[in-house]
Amino acid sequence: MIEIVDLWKSFRDNHVLKGITLSIRDRETFVVLGGSGSGKTVLMKHVIGLLKPDRGKVEVDGVEITALEGKALTEARQRFGMVFQGAALFDSMTVLENVAFPLRERRGRKVPSAEIRGRVVEKLAVVDLGEEVLERWPSELSGGMRKRVALARALVSEPRIVLYDEPTTGLDPITTEYVDEMIIHARERLGITSMVISHDIASAFRVADRVGVLYDGHLAAVGTPAEVRSSPDPFVQKFLSTWFAKQ
Amino acid sequence: MIRIRAALEDFGQMLFFAVEVVAWAFRPPFRFDQVLAQMAFIGAGSAFIVGVTGSFAGMVFALQLNYAMKQFAAEGYVGGSTAFALSRELAPVFTALMVTGRAGSAIATELGTMRVTEQVDAMESMAVSPIQYLVVPRVIASLIMFPILTMLFDALGFAGAYVMGIFVARIPVGPFIEHTRQMLGPEDIFHGLSKAVVFGALVSIITTWRGYSATGGARGVGEGTTRAVVASSIAILLADYAATVIFVGG
Repeated sequence: MIEIVDLWKSFRDNHVLKGITLSIRDRETFVVLGGSGSGKTVLMKHVIGLLKPDRGKVEVDGVEITALEGKALTEARQRFGMVFQGAALFDSMTVLENVAFPLRERRGRKVPSAEIRGRVVEKLAVVDLGEEVLERWPSELSGGMRKRVALARALVSEPRIVLYDEPTTGLDPITTEYVDEMIIHARERLGITSMVISHDIASAFRVADRVGVLYDGHLAAVGTPAEVRSSPDPFVQKFLSTWFAKQ
Repeated sequence: MIRIRAALEDFGQMLFFAVEVVAWAFRPPFRFDQVLAQMAFIGAGSAFIVGVTGSFAGMVFALQLNYAMKQFAAEGYVGGSTAFALSRELAPVFTALMVTGRAGSAIATELGTMRVTEQVDAMESMAVSPIQYLVVPRVIASLIMFPILTMLFDALGFAGAYVMGIFVARIPVGPFIEHTRQMLGPEDIFHGLSKAVVFGALVSIITTWRGYSATGGARGVGEGTTRAVVASSIAILLADYAATVIFVGG
């Protein structure tokens, strides 16, 4: 379970988060919707301890992530997988090396080298990529393939929680639907808790158990997709109406 | 005033970064393969440019000294004077400047690109310290390779001076070698190599910091690289002056 309590964050005079409080339940897919620059990525980076809040805290399974430093924080991060907006594949490594990275670097339960390739191939198959991509460099992949490799890398160490930063941005409709199915699959078959940040309303409503709409540093609405759609908040109505008007 | 304050803040952050690098250097896992890869990039990759610079510096220095010393009939001291200047001053400073231009700029660009494309964040999210994985190997490799490259510069510089002195300036071999033996001691070589270690530490910390702290996309990476090269070059010259004052006296 992820508990975000009264989280505040500013960058100089820019007040990005203004007292966010939110609970994400186990095995739930929670989508944070919001416009560009609304602080979605900043919120997500607090959950995995990449940023420290000015005030407030984040607890994951009862462990206060925001209070951890050094080795303790590093160990706490082992329960996470994260898919970055631009995939963030290591461009000096092949696809095989990228996906194998979390396995090779994992502390404690080391995966034998002989098993690593098999595990990588298995996870690539989950995202519909074959062995022919193993020795390719990230620069040789299309945008959709890069996202799928990033997804395989996030899932390969079988984390309990996966964070998705704008997973469908820049993808064509078919690949977008494919990535959505992957997120649903991760929850239904692997029992993964997911936090997705997005401004893609269609995708958000497809994958979410619950949705939160972030505006001006606050959560303007939180609930199931149906509840959020009927929210009386003027920003939420305006934000959603642009998409629903097209349907 | 604001720019001075920002520069001081940046300098302070770099000092904290350096302390963190030292702390991570002594924590397992030790990444020998990464260190070897960086030694190959910083050392073997820079050997050609350092060798060429050393050879020409030695040749030119010997010819200039020969021209000056001929007026006092002291050509026999050309070899010794060149070796003395190379080992204490020219080799460590020129080597550090050349490696900054070739490898330091590449380090700042590579880490900067990794930072702005979130590869550094990705590494951190996978429970791996980017400082330990990316920065420590580059710093250790620099500490090892800067003195080795300086020795290469010394050797090829003296070889260049020998060729010019003996075959072009027609200085007799006996006095050339004898005065070199008299003028150059192990402490002179050690003096230069000590400086090389200091320069290696400065250049590696400055260039990795500029990459690690890069912001703002391609332009930010470019600016970071420029600042890395300029700051490293100034740091080399300042440290050289400070070390010379400390070792030799003002």
